[in-house]
Amino acid sequence: MSLAGPPLLELRGITRRFPGVLANDDVSLTLARGEVLGLLGENGAGKSTLMSILAGLIAPDSGAVLISGRETVLPSPLAAAAAGIGMVHQHFKLIGAMSVRDNLALGDVRWGRFTVDYPELTVSIGRLAVELQMEVDFDAVIDDLPVGRQQQVEILKALSRNPAILILDEPTAVLTPHERDGLFRMLARLKARGAGIVLISHRLEDVIEGCDRAVVMRQGRIVGGGPVAGLDRADLVRMVIGDDLAEIERRPGAAGAPVLRADGLVLRRPNGTIAVDGASFDLRAGEIVALCGVDGNGQGELVQMLAGMLRPHAGGLTYWLHGREIAGPLSAAALRQLGLGHVAEDRLRHAVVPNFSLVANWLLTALFHGGLAPRGWLNLATAEARCGAAVRDYDVKAPGNGVPIRQLSGGNQQKLVLARELHGAPELVLAAHPTRGLDVRTIAFVQRELLRARDRGAAVLLLSADLNEVWAIADRVMVMAAGHLHGPVPVAETSRQEVGRWMTGHA
Amino acid sequence: MSRVWLQQGLVALGVLAVPSGFILLAGKDPVATWTLLLTYTLGTWNGFSDVLVNAIPLTLLGLGVAVAFRAGIFNIGGDGQLICGAVLAVAVAPILGGLGWAALPLFLMAGAVGGGVAGGLVGWLRTRFSANEIIVTIMMNYVALQMLTWVIRGPLQEPMRIFPRSFAIGEALQLPVLDAGSRLHGGLLVALLAVALLQLVLSRSAFGFRLAVLGENAEAATYAGIKAAPTVVLGLLLSGALGGLAGAVEIAGVFHKLEDNFAAGFGLSAIAVALMARLQPWAIPFTAILFGVFYVGSGALQRQIGLPFPLVWIIQGVVILAFLASRAMQTRTLRVA
Repeated sequence: MSLAGPPLLELRGITRRFPGVLANDDVSLTLARGEVLGLLGENGAGKSTLMSILAGLIAPDSGAVLISGRETVLPSPLAAAAAGIGMVHQHFKLIGAMSVRDNLALGDVRWGRFTVDYPELTVSIGRLAVELQMEVDFDAVIDDLPVGRQQQVEILKALSRNPAILILDEPTAVLTPHERDGLFRMLARLKARGAGIVLISHRLEDVIEGCDRAVVMRQGRIVGGGPVAGLDRADLVRMVIGDDLAEIERRPGAAGAPVLRADGLVLRRPNGTIAVDGASFDLRAGEIVALCGVDGNGQGELVQMLAGMLRPHAGGLTYWLHGREIAGPLSAAALRQLGLGHVAEDRLRHAVVPNFSLVANWLLTALFHGGLAPRGWLNLATAEARCGAAVRDYDVKAPGNGVPIRQLSGGNQQKLVLARELHGAPELVLAAHPTRGLDVRTIAFVQRELLRARDRGAAVLLLSADLNEVWAIADRVMVMAAGHLHGPVPVAETSRQEVGRWMTGHA
Repeated sequence: MSRVWLQQGLVALGVLAVPSGFILLAGKDPVATWTLLLTYTLGTWNGFSDVLVNAIPLTLLGLGVAVAFRAGIFNIGGDGQLICGAVLAVAVAPILGGLGWAALPLFLMAGAVGGGVAGGLVGWLRTRFSANEIIVTIMMNYVALQMLTWVIRGPLQEPMRIFPRSFAIGEALQLPVLDAGSRLHGGLLVALLAVALLQLVLSRSAFGFRLAVLGENAEAATYAGIKAAPTVVLGLLLSGALGGLAGAVEIAGVFHKLEDNFAAGFGLSAIAVALMARLQPWAIPFTAILFGVFYVGSGALQRQIGLPFPLVWIIQGVVILAFLASRAMQTRTLRVA
């Protein structure tokens, strides 16, 4: 690509081993100035490890990093930043208890070495946010923000340093189409200025629309690549999984009796604003109802209310489970006893205990309805057997069932959570962003599993921001915007354009 | 792996080196001091049986600390719970006298109840009013101490009403001495039984699992339908009960009556005991013995070479710091994957 001089970035023979896993096996690649490189691969293929090496978080066992032809050692994130490398991580590296403004100031000496020049920071980053068309509330505390907003902060933080090399690990997974367009415009601007960009994504559209060249990793090695021009979706899928992917066959569900009825549910946030403003709908056995919305519009809170994690301030909830009508709201404990399956939106915060082993994480929710604690004592043998079976059936890549689950890649953690929550044929499944951050093969697998759950009579609520997914598997769709619920309407009777308009609040 | 061992080695070295510096400051020879400390406590039966006598309450209190810490609750109230247990046990002792073989188990149980009520109260305050358990347990230590001061001059004072101490409990309520000529008593078996039971509860019971989830990720507990309030109250109740049991064991095995300074301030050492054992019940007797060595050894050093007793507090402080440092180093090495 560049005839004059060495490439902006070159990796030579990078190898990194973790206990039980060869994460990177002799990986070499180059990145030119003004190039957007798409890095593709399934969960656990070694993409994140490779990029963590570039970000100074992990040292390679062998191999070299060359920046503009000069061999560079990156012993720390600060060294990487000094070398002009910026990284937006998949798992955010933000301080949850601190405000957005403080997080942006953290570790950045431009705003002062001993004191922080907050007005300057606010103006400077505020301008960047306007360019990106992102809304930023500088005073918000990170923990109070939905995941999508947290990621915006990460992106802003990386871009505010004007890096020569920008690495984005799954940046679009939690963004709305609108925010995604803004991000791509910003990337185009950076590219025009001569920056090199590495984009890790499972969304093939991201690579087709936003990248110049693609490189594909499988099991720690680079297995293919080439210029994106002239490649289509099917080509990319074949490169990633080494095989053709069978299309999901879309069949309508046969909806039966209601399993859950919400009647005028209202929820206020701790700060007094309305999160959910009078939501009413039925969820029936044998159907998948999609719940769409731009992050932060109350749909996450709605799901947490249905799951018993938040208590509605007004409105009625009724469940029909195990042939009984049960008046809600019920506690999460009661719902778990009744066999609720719930894939939580924020995996590391809710759905797993990162320091626990795979087996202990399996016990986390299975404990209360899976007969794993008869008379109060754990049945570890059964838990191990079921967890082991799930690891095999769902193809979870892990060095063993006894390792802490935080050692697994995000996609593999998600597979185990899904296996756990669908185990035991639950009658009610609440799946919040179940395919977020997963690779194409796993997405298809997860979607098939949800369809299977539906076909055996489960009522499935699918919280999703991905309209492709909604149209692939949902029977009805409803949308939340600013706490108001539209629908549900049958997917066949609406269009993506209409749903998109609802999502942005134009009814 | 080797890196972990290297770190552990450095930590152990630090634990030896810092007190050695203070021994030098005190004008004594560190090598001779350590040698004396170790030969007396581990090399003589007199010394070692005394180490075990100290290790018994340290083990029970350490178990109590471990239960609470597992759930992310900081129970600093071991001393207070020990006193509450001992006071309740002595208060009911006159009724228990004529119950034959059941008297001693009931006496110990009364101790557990006394400590359990004190601990459970803290749990209730925490869940009901979001009271900070660290502050509450520390304050409860003073309340308990004042209560002890009062009861041995008031309702439970010895019949002659001369000395500030309680009546002596009956023979049937005393733990048998295991080896005539030493002070080693049957509390050793009580402590070992408690270790085994607690190991089972923490690693194999649904309750132990709930405690651990709560301690590791309270938000995941909400998601999984684990009710925090009862788990916290029950955890602190069990924690306090172990402290109360330690109190009853001390009375039944060593003192046979309440007196002003029967509670030797083991509560703080028990935190170090539990931390060093990494909150693993099976490891707690070993770390308790280590602290028993320091206690008994410090006494011997004071008697034999005139080294002041606070050495044991210095060692304790160093151990806690070293533990926290090694823990932090480990999290750093394990973080990336």
